[in-house]
Amino acid sequence: MDTIIEVKGLKKYYKGTEAVKGLDLSVHKGEIFGFLGPNGAGKSTTINMLSTIIKPSEGHAKINGFDNVKEKNKVRASIGLIFQASTLDEKLTANENLKLHCKFYGVKKSLREDRIQEVLEIVDLTDKRYKIVETFSGGMKRRLEIARGLLNYPKVLFLDEPTVGLDPQTRAHLWDYILKLKEKAGITIFLTTHSMEEAEICDRVAIMDHGELIALDTPDQLKSKVGGDIIHVSTEANQAAKALIEERYEAEVTEDGEGLSFRVENGSKLLIDFVKQFDIPIKSVNLRRPTLNDVFLQLAGREIREENVSTKTSGNRNLARRGR
Amino acid sequence: MEGILAIWQRDVIKFFRDRPRILGSFAMPFMFLILFGSGMSGAMSSMMGGASPDSPLADFDFVQFMFPGIIGLTVFTTAIFSSLSVVQDKEFGYMKEILVSPISRVSIAIGKVLGGSTVAVIQGLMMLVFVPFIGVSISFLMILKLIPVMFLVAFTLSSIGLLIASTLKTSQGFQMVVQVLIFPMLFLSGAMFPLNGMPAWMNVLVKINPLTYSVDMFKKVILEPANMAPALREAMGLNLTIFHQPITFAGEIFVVAGLGVVFVVLATMKFSTMEA
Ligand SMILES: Nc1ncnc2c1ncn2[C@@H]1O[C@H](COP(=O)(O)OP(=O)(O)OP(=O)(O)O)[C@@H](O)[C@H]1O
Ligand SMILES: [Mg+2]
Repeated sequence: MDTIIEVKGLKKYYKGTEAVKGLDLSVHKGEIFGFLGPNGAGKSTTINMLSTIIKPSEGHAKINGFDNVKEKNKVRASIGLIFQASTLDEKLTANENLKLHCKFYGVKKSLREDRIQEVLEIVDLTDKRYKIVETFSGGMKRRLEIARGLLNYPKVLFLDEPTVGLDPQTRAHLWDYILKLKEKAGITIFLTTHSMEEAEICDRVAIMDHGELIALDTPDQLKSKVGGDIIHVSTEANQAAKALIEERYEAEVTEDGEGLSFRVENGSKLLIDFVKQFDIPIKSVNLRRPTLNDVFLQLAGREIREENVSTKTSGNRNLARRGR
Repeated sequence: MEGILAIWQRDVIKFFRDRPRILGSFAMPFMFLILFGSGMSGAMSSMMGGASPDSPLADFDFVQFMFPGIIGLTVFTTAIFSSLSVVQDKEFGYMKEILVSPISRVSIAIGKVLGGSTVAVIQGLMMLVFVPFIGVSISFLMILKLIPVMFLVAFTLSSIGLLIASTLKTSQGFQMVVQVLIFPMLFLSGAMFPLNGMPAWMNVLVKINPLTYSVDMFKKVILEPANMAPALREAMGLNLTIFHQPITFAGEIFVVAGLGVVFVVLATMKFSTMEA
């Protein structure tokens, strides 16, 4: 498979902190590559180094064959970049934002009109072309940013937390666009996220924690490494239950706000016995396949985002399926 | 080159779109010219001893005197404050869009300075609406002369603004610094009152103030001191000297342009080191 991004020993120190501690990876042409990690893991820092915005302290990367330090302008011309925070000029119209971008990126005059129409169509904003961006909803702004990122026909599109702050519907829509892009334009997409459901959609996921890669594989492979099933149980006395489970099943039990989870082999069989034999009254119990969160949990010893744990499972499935 | 043009164009588009700002830009000059100027003119004339009708100073009209200064004030403040947009672009994120694009930092800085200068010239020209009310006569030729002078002055001031903006991160900070800088410069430029008989130390400040030469250029174009009675010219503070030599129009252009070059280079250098 062709490689479009090649990273070797990439490091970034800030005063006192080592934000990225020696990164090696390669991204294949045409894949959706996800960068998953908790706040402060170094995801944005990595994207910023790859897209030449900040200079690496050590190491280097090749993007579309160009060096991210020595050939900045060539790298910039071959990428599209969507930042974590909006970078639109909200006082201008969508059309003006797009036109300026064409000029900044030296898109040929004769091509501009076609390109603008094309990208607006992809993100479904054709009818908003001459409206001031200020009047757009958050989701529309995000889509416009993505459209703008596509104007120069980038080989790689970098997206830093593209769906953060969007409602579930807009999120889903946006993912439709991203997948459509991958199919239609065949561009490589490199995105960061701390959302499991988004990571599930990616072709490959790199998990980052404290500036280091702790895993890199397809979501399925990653999950199968965890193996087995996860039982989540909520009881009248969670502390006692925890001790009991640890003793009886020799499993590592983690607590969250609502109950306990532990991993077992062959969960569907075990669940029946578990419920029958458990001495402490059970309030609820469910069984699920491991998610990327469990992968992270196993590798890093903690949840990616503590506050998100309990509500996550249901949404996970739906979105994950869209990606298939 | 197209990058410079794009940056410039954005500032100009945004200027024309911001109606409240355009209207608001008349407020200060209006107050100075009509309220302050007209209010003070009686006092000023009697101070000049122009009460007697046959004195050469009877022609002294404070509002007329102030008018070139007001154009100056408009051009200076618009130009220097135009760089506020650089700080705002940092705050609102658009600066990233610009900085990561393949256009060079130098082009961005130049585009910004030119954008600010253009807007300042337009605002300066808009002040000519006051002409019919204050009794100065302005010919078409004067306006043609005024435009390049305004542009030159605006270019220098925009560069100073960009230099400040490149070092600061917040709009409040920028506004503070610029206000602290611009007010003394304005008062010591001869824009508000004739600079006659000042203490020596203040005179030094006046002479190192680039706005002094800028205001004087506007006065030379609009008031045509060459056609005035010498005593009146003196009273209006139009005999600007440097090292006891009268400074010519060409000399003033040279000074302001020289400062413009220095500041645009400094600003561009400073801007280029900025991280996205
Ligand atoms: N300009 C900077 N100066 C100093 N430290 C920084 C700077 N930028 C980032 N850091 C530090 O580097 C680490 C990684 O930050 P980074 O923004 O890459 O995280 P992230 O994975 O994108 O997190 P998030 O999910 O919150 O966006 C953090 O500890 C952060 O505090
Ligand atoms: Mg980030």
